[in-house]
Amino acid sequence: MNSLDPRVNRLPEINEPVSPKAPLDQFGTFEVFVQPKEGKPFQHEGIVHAPNLELAYVLAKEAFTRRFTCTSLYVVDTRDVFISPMTEGDKNTYDYIQEPPEKADIGSSFEIYHLAKRGKQHVHAGTVQAGTPQQAMAQARQQFKTDKVIYNVWAIETDKIRFTTAEEKELWLTLPEKKFRDASDYKGGDKLKEFLEKMIK
Amino acid sequence: MTFALKELLYKMADDQLILGHRNSEWTGMGPLLEEDIAFSSMAQDKVGQSLALYTLLHKLGESDPDTMAFTRNANQFHNCILVELPNQEYDFSLIRHFLFDTAEALRFEALTHSSYEPLAQLAQKIRGELRYHTLHANTWIKQLGTATPESISRLQHSLELALPYALGIFEPSPYEAELMAAGIFEGEQALQDKWLVRIESICRQTSLVLPDLKVVTPVLGGRTGKHSEHLQPLLDEMSEVFRIDPGAEW
Repeated sequence: MNSLDPRVNRLPEINEPVSPKAPLDQFGTFEVFVQPKEGKPFQHEGIVHAPNLELAYVLAKEAFTRRFTCTSLYVVDTRDVFISPMTEGDKNTYDYIQEPPEKADIGSSFEIYHLAKRGKQHVHAGTVQAGTPQQAMAQARQQFKTDKVIYNVWAIETDKIRFTTAEEKELWLTLPEKKFRDASDYKGGDKLKEFLEKMIK
Repeated sequence: MTFALKELLYKMADDQLILGHRNSEWTGMGPLLEEDIAFSSMAQDKVGQSLALYTLLHKLGESDPDTMAFTRNANQFHNCILVELPNQEYDFSLIRHFLFDTAEALRFEALTHSSYEPLAQLAQKIRGELRYHTLHANTWIKQLGTATPESISRLQHSLELALPYALGIFEPSPYEAELMAAGIFEGEQALQDKWLVRIESICRQTSLVLPDLKVVTPVLGGRTGKHSEHLQPLLDEMSEVFRIDPGAEW
């Protein structure tokens, strides 16, 4: 794919082998994952640019959890996110994941993310033990593949993630009170109606 | 006692409002989109915290928050001079953010034990916001304080510039003994001692050199309404829209 529109060139290729997700240009990018409610799975929210992992965490907090409820957040360097081939229609990405040649040995743990609908966010599916990202994908296929079509799988080594600590959970303490940050909280229509009624009288 | 308590609330509220306004001047001009959002958001937090404090004052018989924020003149404000200084370069704003927010977080932390219940409750409520503000400040100072010769020398220069004003945060109040005896607040000296330990511990993790405080002369006066020439223009700008129609409902 080669286009004058950079966004087109960034679209993922179909049927590529398991490979690291490519970062965008500028400062390094970091992937941001948010847990919207206690007990809900983490979901991918987007990226931030930052000089390192810790600053990525700090900047992600305000960039992505200013408005909607949030109980926890984590970030990881884009280069540590391994992605499976992107598929569409009724093709399941798990069918395109190659069995890694080497046998699964002593494991690190990997977080597995599923894309269940094109255009939606990747959502946490579970954790697997594996030696390499490729093995983690194969392991995920064994554990998480069902009849439901998955279009893309991400594998992220757990140790590479900057998690929210127990004490940091209080970062979102006053968020529920900040409804005014939501555009929907400003009842513009009501105010206009009130104003017009006043004008007519 | 009410007089002593009001003095404490006024200086805290004014600090938050003025620094919140100053920091919001970076909105749209931050050095990085994500940082612009974060810094603006914290500025908004500060203005919100000032509103909470003005509301406590209102319940103690003072005017309503808008009147207090928008109709007083510079000599009626009790903020320290540090928070009213112009932004200059981003390194200065970051250093001020670091020096002020460390003190602010420690002040509210102490106030969670205050015998004045409404203030203790407020301090409890906003502790998450303050945790974020200090996390943000410390992370940037540690990053830029170790990054390049330029970033280190810029921060060092700003640190030396801001330090005399930062000591003005702890300008003693005539009611210190009264507040301490009543268990309302531990006092400015105790706060400054804790602040210094925190500031030192962060600076030690960087290439920054914290000047010996014994040879730094504090810039005082803010708490008694003696301000720099920079406060009145800030107030004029901040209240510009309010003064067009003070009775307007938003």
